Amino acid sequence: MRRAVAFVVLMALAWAAWDTGADPVRLIRGLPWLLEFVRRMMPPDLRVLPAAVAGAVTTVEIALLGTAVAAVLALPLGFVSARNVAAPPIFHAARAALNFLRSVDTLVYALVFVAAVGLGPFPGVLAVIAYTTTSLAKLYSEAIEGIERGPVDAITATGATRLQVLRFGVLPQVLPLFLSYVLYRLETNIRAATVLGFVGAGGIGFYLQTYLRLIDYPAASTVLLVTVAMVIAVDFVSSRLRQRLV
Amino acid sequence: MIDVTGLRVVLPPSTVALDGVDLSVRPGEFVVILGPSGAGKTTFLRTLNRLVEPTAGSVRINGRAVTGAAPPELRAVRREVGMIFQQFNLVRRLSVLDNVLTGRLGYVASVASVAGRFPEQDRVLARQCLEQVGLSHLADRRADTLSGGEQQRVAIARALAQSPAVILADEPTASLDPALTDSIMGALRRINVDRGLTLVVSQHQLATALEYATRIVGFRAGRIVFDGRPTELTPRAVERIYADHAP
Repeated sequence: MRRAVAFVVLMALAWAAWDTGADPVRLIRGLPWLLEFVRRMMPPDLRVLPAAVAGAVTTVEIALLGTAVAAVLALPLGFVSARNVAAPPIFHAARAALNFLRSVDTLVYALVFVAAVGLGPFPGVLAVIAYTTTSLAKLYSEAIEGIERGPVDAITATGATRLQVLRFGVLPQVLPLFLSYVLYRLETNIRAATVLGFVGAGGIGFYLQTYLRLIDYPAASTVLLVTVAMVIAVDFVSSRLRQRLV
Repeated sequence: MIDVTGLRVVLPPSTVALDGVDLSVRPGEFVVILGPSGAGKTTFLRTLNRLVEPTAGSVRINGRAVTGAAPPELRAVRREVGMIFQQFNLVRRLSVLDNVLTGRLGYVASVASVAGRFPEQDRVLARQCLEQVGLSHLADRRADTLSGGEQQRVAIARALAQSPAVILADEPTASLDPALTDSIMGALRRINVDRGLTLVVSQHQLATALEYATRIVGFRAGRIVFDGRPTELTPRAVERIYADHAP
């Protein structure tokens, strides 16, 4: 049985390698071109630094605003998709809807929203909201399912309403986890938002794509360096905050 | 005060936890439920305020029907019935005072309380309840920074904040150092004597039951096998409750 599974997995991988044209020799032949690419990027063209920084600020704004709105929108969704809080029919419907919506990535949402509201950072914000709401709702619901039953029983026994039980029995248990998930999502959204500009949804990705198209590699390298600095800075601040929560 | 007739609880898939229990508790009694683990003590207490839904039978508390009550009526009964748990069940991240204030949830407007606001008289009452269990000085501490004995006293204060007619306590000393048994049971007795509240407390320690109860009810395998005053609890009766379990 085990051998049969191993055989099937190996065959699938071999087929995938053949089908994608994966070829180490091609990679080795391409290496000099890679180095040439890096060489042409040097030295970075610092004249585009103000534009790159402005793009980075827009990207951070997209991620911040999108994550913040999603963090709130995901709250009711998280509760209705938690098995131990929602009634079974509601729970199953909510879970199914979340799984369906979550299968679409931020970039795909961005394409849709650019078509709907036009170019610029706003469709980027909408895309971040759409994806992050569903993914946070899933994380929230799992946190809710992991709570201690005891305090919930105790609050229920005081004659509290369902809403009060959620507020006093459930929320204090899950809030630190929720905040930690939101910060984690902010970190991943910064990365996701850097490529949103590729499809016209604003931010630093727009500059990267533009300079690459213009074959202005020194300018593109400045944009890349700013991107790296931005991601590292946000990760640093966010992980510090998360450590203090747990 | 409490009227239970024909109470039967079958827990899924098919465990018979209570098998036809009839019991009538008069106002002001200090009833101790005695019995080996698995006898149905916890299920019985949790069925009285419908944390556990009974399969059959009826419960009335203070003249109101508990079984069959619609949600608003059920909440109205529950707020008159304080409950104390073996594991204290405080909300760890809330302050001691906020935990006591949750005892007032049945009385305050849902929306205002969700915003975290409680009327001033409720805050005064919560502080008085904390004072009664001797923990005023810990009001602002986070609940999970307290010792087990202190946490259980906060839980008693929370129950008192409900201004209850009845207090149910499920093995309130079982998770504590034996030396703390008297401090908790003593606090419950004072509530019983000073305020005239009706108490139903489960215990697995025979000596403690004999010392504090005005009435002992023995459970075995989901049925009542003894009901009487502590002085009536003969070795034969103890034998009937515990059978082949050691008491």
